[in-house]
Amino acid sequence: KILSKMGISTIASYRGAQLFEIVGLADEVVSLCFPGVPSRIQGAGFAELEAGARELAALAASPMAELAPGGRHKLVVGGESHMFNPDVINSLQQAVRSGDTADYRRYADHVDGRAPAALRDLLRLREADAPLPLDAVEPAEAILARFDSAGMSLGALSPEAHEALAIAMNRLGGRSNSGEGGEDPARHGTEKRSKIKQVASGRFGVTPEYLVNAEVLQIKIAQGAKPGEGGQLPGHKVNATIAALRHARPGIGLISPPPHHDIYSIEDLAQLIFDLKEVNPSALVSVKLVSHAGIGTIAAGVAKAYADLITVSGHDGGTGASPLSSIHHAGTPWELGLAEVQQTLRLNHLRGRVRLQVDGGLKTGRDVVKAAILGAESFGFGTTPMVALGCRYLRICHLNNCATGVATQDPRLRANHFIGLPEMAMNFFRFVADDVRQWLARLGVAKLEDLIGRTDLLERLPGDTPQQRRIDLAPVLQAATGEGDAARHNQQPRNPPRDTGELAARMLEETQAALQAGAGGAFAFSVRNRDRSLGARLSGEIARLHGNQGMADAPLELKLSGHAGQSLGAWNAGGLHIELTGDANDYVGKGMAGGRIVLRPPPDARYVARDAPIMGNTCLYGATGGELYAAGRAGERFAVRNSGALAVVEGVGDHGCEYMTGGVVAVLGRTGLNFGAGFTGGLAYVLDLDRDFVDRYNHELVDVHRITPEGMEHHRHHLRCLLRDHAGHSGSAWASRLLEDFRDVAGKFWLVKPKAASLEQLADDLRRAA
Amino acid sequence: MKARPFQFIDVPRRMPRELPAKVRVLGWQEIHAGFDADGAAEQGARCLDCGNPYCEWKCPVHNPIPDWLALVREGRLFEAAELAHSTNPLPEVCGRVCPQDRLCEGDCTLHTGFEAVTIGSIEKYIVDEAFRQGWRPDLSAVRASGRRVAIIGAGPAGLACADRLARAGIEAHVFDRHAQIGGLLSYGIPAFKLEKSVMDVRRQVLEGMGVRFHLGVDVDAALGAELLRDHDALFLGTGATTPVDAGLPGQELPGVLSALPFLVANARRQRGEKHEDDVAFALAGRRVLVLGGGDTAMDCVRSAVRLGAAQVTCAYRRGEADMPGSAREVKYARAEGVQFLFHRQPVAIEGNGAVTGVRLAGTRAGSGRAGSLELVPGSEETIAADVVIQSFGFRASPAPWWQGIGIELDPRGHVATRGPAGATSHPKVFAGGDNVRGADLVVTAVFDGREAGTAIARQLLQMGSENISV
Repeated sequence: KILSKMGISTIASYRGAQLFEIVGLADEVVSLCFPGVPSRIQGAGFAELEAGARELAALAASPMAELAPGGRHKLVVGGESHMFNPDVINSLQQAVRSGDTADYRRYADHVDGRAPAALRDLLRLREADAPLPLDAVEPAEAILARFDSAGMSLGALSPEAHEALAIAMNRLGGRSNSGEGGEDPARHGTEKRSKIKQVASGRFGVTPEYLVNAEVLQIKIAQGAKPGEGGQLPGHKVNATIAALRHARPGIGLISPPPHHDIYSIEDLAQLIFDLKEVNPSALVSVKLVSHAGIGTIAAGVAKAYADLITVSGHDGGTGASPLSSIHHAGTPWELGLAEVQQTLRLNHLRGRVRLQVDGGLKTGRDVVKAAILGAESFGFGTTPMVALGCRYLRICHLNNCATGVATQDPRLRANHFIGLPEMAMNFFRFVADDVRQWLARLGVAKLEDLIGRTDLLERLPGDTPQQRRIDLAPVLQAATGEGDAARHNQQPRNPPRDTGELAARMLEETQAALQAGAGGAFAFSVRNRDRSLGARLSGEIARLHGNQGMADAPLELKLSGHAGQSLGAWNAGGLHIELTGDANDYVGKGMAGGRIVLRPPPDARYVARDAPIMGNTCLYGATGGELYAAGRAGERFAVRNSGALAVVEGVGDHGCEYMTGGVVAVLGRTGLNFGAGFTGGLAYVLDLDRDFVDRYNHELVDVHRITPEGMEHHRHHLRCLLRDHAGHSGSAWASRLLEDFRDVAGKFWLVKPKAASLEQLADDLRRAA
Repeated sequence: MKARPFQFIDVPRRMPRELPAKVRVLGWQEIHAGFDADGAAEQGARCLDCGNPYCEWKCPVHNPIPDWLALVREGRLFEAAELAHSTNPLPEVCGRVCPQDRLCEGDCTLHTGFEAVTIGSIEKYIVDEAFRQGWRPDLSAVRASGRRVAIIGAGPAGLACADRLARAGIEAHVFDRHAQIGGLLSYGIPAFKLEKSVMDVRRQVLEGMGVRFHLGVDVDAALGAELLRDHDALFLGTGATTPVDAGLPGQELPGVLSALPFLVANARRQRGEKHEDDVAFALAGRRVLVLGGGDTAMDCVRSAVRLGAAQVTCAYRRGEADMPGSAREVKYARAEGVQFLFHRQPVAIEGNGAVTGVRLAGTRAGSGRAGSLELVPGSEETIAADVVIQSFGFRASPAPWWQGIGIELDPRGHVATRGPAGATSHPKVFAGGDNVRGADLVVTAVFDGREAGTAIARQLLQMGSENISV
């Protein structure tokens, strides 16, 4: 499974690809056995490997030795050591409840005194001969502002736990991260708001209103605990509330796709960053990356793509309900990734443009100080604040029966057994901030920022085992070093894109009065393909002033003509109607929440509209509502992760309607391969003139039905209405012809529906919607 | 049965049937019956199988509790018994006498907010039922090494040590001054907590494993020297049986008993054994006052109730929450009619020719260091009593000849050991249990015996993974 996450499907491509990174083997082994594979810190050589093998053989031969207890996943005394062992959990919970520094000290001693379990444990901090007095060190507030909570979704967590953490971070002056499950609009504007809103591959609950209620928009490329996989929420945790926030159906499990379907290159990522900056110009955009060899190059690209923040996520973070294969076999230490990013950004004079964050198993002030030395100026905490709020690290997050009420949606457990208070999480962060200050004093450094790159303050410890003794951390320290004149830390508050979005600015100016008044009106603009993310700024403004659907009754109509650039109508809000005569690039209606987008070819077009592409790839990705009518074909990955939008198009490329959980898609022409993979909600109609659609859809989760005159009247009627609307809005000649022959062609459509939904159920839904 | 995620809410904690107090005080049988297979499976299935088994972490011998609970749930009894013995040579004993409310069950994730899994009762079920069905430890793969080790003391430490040695193919010879094995398990802990048949079964099991018992033997200097000469190693598991002397005026009066001699004599009386050391006591119809608040004091008060005392009172110098023993025992004692006087310190035992009462002073938290007490002036009163039992704790009881063979003691009179395996200053001698720790739990003695047994076997068989030559 881990191989397949790297896109490898045959053993031959594994052998050749050298995609993996080696952690902990000496060069003599790498050069003989794995030539060319990245390996940075040495480790066990043949002698150590041989000794280990001999020891194992001797144990196997000894009648006295019993089988080792294991305990790799769940702790077994005498087996694998675990960082969050009962002593750590109990002492932390005692400390955050009492608020007593002596109790925190006991906790920190348990953590800091553990046998080496991470690379940072092999490094000791070199204390200054002349320590600073504590009041010469920057105040705790300055340090607390650098603390974020790591993304944990509402859904994974109970609303109580999610809100308690948000309140704690807001009161402390840090930021909490919504995770990828959306946020209840009732929390917007209150102290329960998450200042960081995550945009992950599932795009659950990502609406313009969600995006404008954020200080930071975080694009989660991957997470350290399960690189190569998206979030996974098992069906029994999806109750009515969670489903509503995610625009999904209760009881059906939600799996975020491994990749973002709108990011296949660094340019795509730059486009997404631009989309987000357009919808919420005041927000900082952050990109969360996983520590691995080569992350430096990616981070440089991200900085050049105008991200404001970069998060490096390591493998020893919390794992919640991650699949076992990821918990045990994927990810690398953040120490490696962070140092590499620091080095590459400095070499390319990019470090000053971005703020660098690290997350992954941070527990005490000492962890924070070491991370700062290796290059971080901001710090994400996931599991530890959860423990402060009552989590006992039971590792049953996926079962919905969390006895502490933290990771469950069960009403009994939430109401009676969640004991977390924001004050507990606040106590934890204050303790850590004070711990950091004491370290700063001991190190003789007044400000955390001044630690960055000070690798001279780290000293290599010998390590406990022969393998540890052979680890060479010099390359890591060398990479993170602070010499040279390029900036060592962030110098500018934001990283503004070169494209200032001139046309978007003009649109906003001209429509300002109508927007403020919520009055609507029609406005015409001609567009070029350099004008990107058109409409996003207006949608953001609408959502800020009126909410997602607040202007739906008095829409603002944009009459556009020409070739639109990428992301036309991205994050479209209710009350924004875009009509384009011409054609559009990729990502039309990405993240659309409401309103309408209509694409029609120019009247003088010399091609047959239904045979020609009218928009690019990945349109309607992550849409939650609204309507799209296009008199022409769409590209690949059309309506992926659609959860509520209605669309009529005249053909789609491969992977249409993948991971769809809601909404309606009518395709009046040929589809590409793999239609409907991962499709668990909503429905689609597909016209199959060539009679080969059965070979082109993915049979795993959907089935197809003919729309017969008997027993399918509702669907027949529904389809006819869709054709009529399409003809009406886009003027599609093809739709008009189909309507004329409807009696004949209706039988050539397939109804595509999730296997889990019955035809009766769908008909009921249609009746109710009508 | 299948694992059900919400079993811990849907099914409440249920102990095996408890004899009503009125009935149980009429006899000496254990107050809880055992689980049947369904009851054990249903209760075992309440375990969350959490990622951080706090029970196992807290348990002094680190029993793999969630794993054997799962085996019980699945009806795999013999495998559960096997697993239970992998960490604990005396699981049926610990299942009965461990203060689970302070150890595994007290740290169970479900203990806060729900109710802990009935770990102790299931442990007892596993071993009792497996033995009943004929299961015995499988030593068929063990080869006799020709080595022999002498163990002094057949209490929990000594038996645990013997178990590990037998499993390593080493002949274990256990010497004890009592007529039966078990030490305090047989002669200190009353039958209503640990029925004597339990140790009888365990004796059969250990003898079946090849352990040799030499009972009714007092090991003196001469025999000690002989044992050391004739064996490859010696383990001292002699316990802590010397009572702490409070030096109360009047403690020499007739009617004043010391807890342990009283319990031992009573145990022998219940078994129908006789011994020249037995103290005489008659409690029927008398007013009994027990001084002290530990588990031994609870054993005394509950025994006194069963011996027909007219009134049984326990006086303890601190509050109920500060009692060192198991809260469960206090609950049982109270149900059986025992009266408690807290914050009362005895200052003198009164009487003329025979005890008539004890003078008690009220106490309160002292102004000095945390935990210190001071007497409340003018609070003294006399509580009338016909029999007074003093239970102020016990000290290690090293034999005088040990120092003669070069075994060092620490300033408290405990055997000085190096490392957790109980090595002493004599290269052939190991020690563990209460003579190393002072009076402590049965399970810590089991731990010491187990570790020492393993270490002795390693040393004798040269099988430590460090010094294997391949």
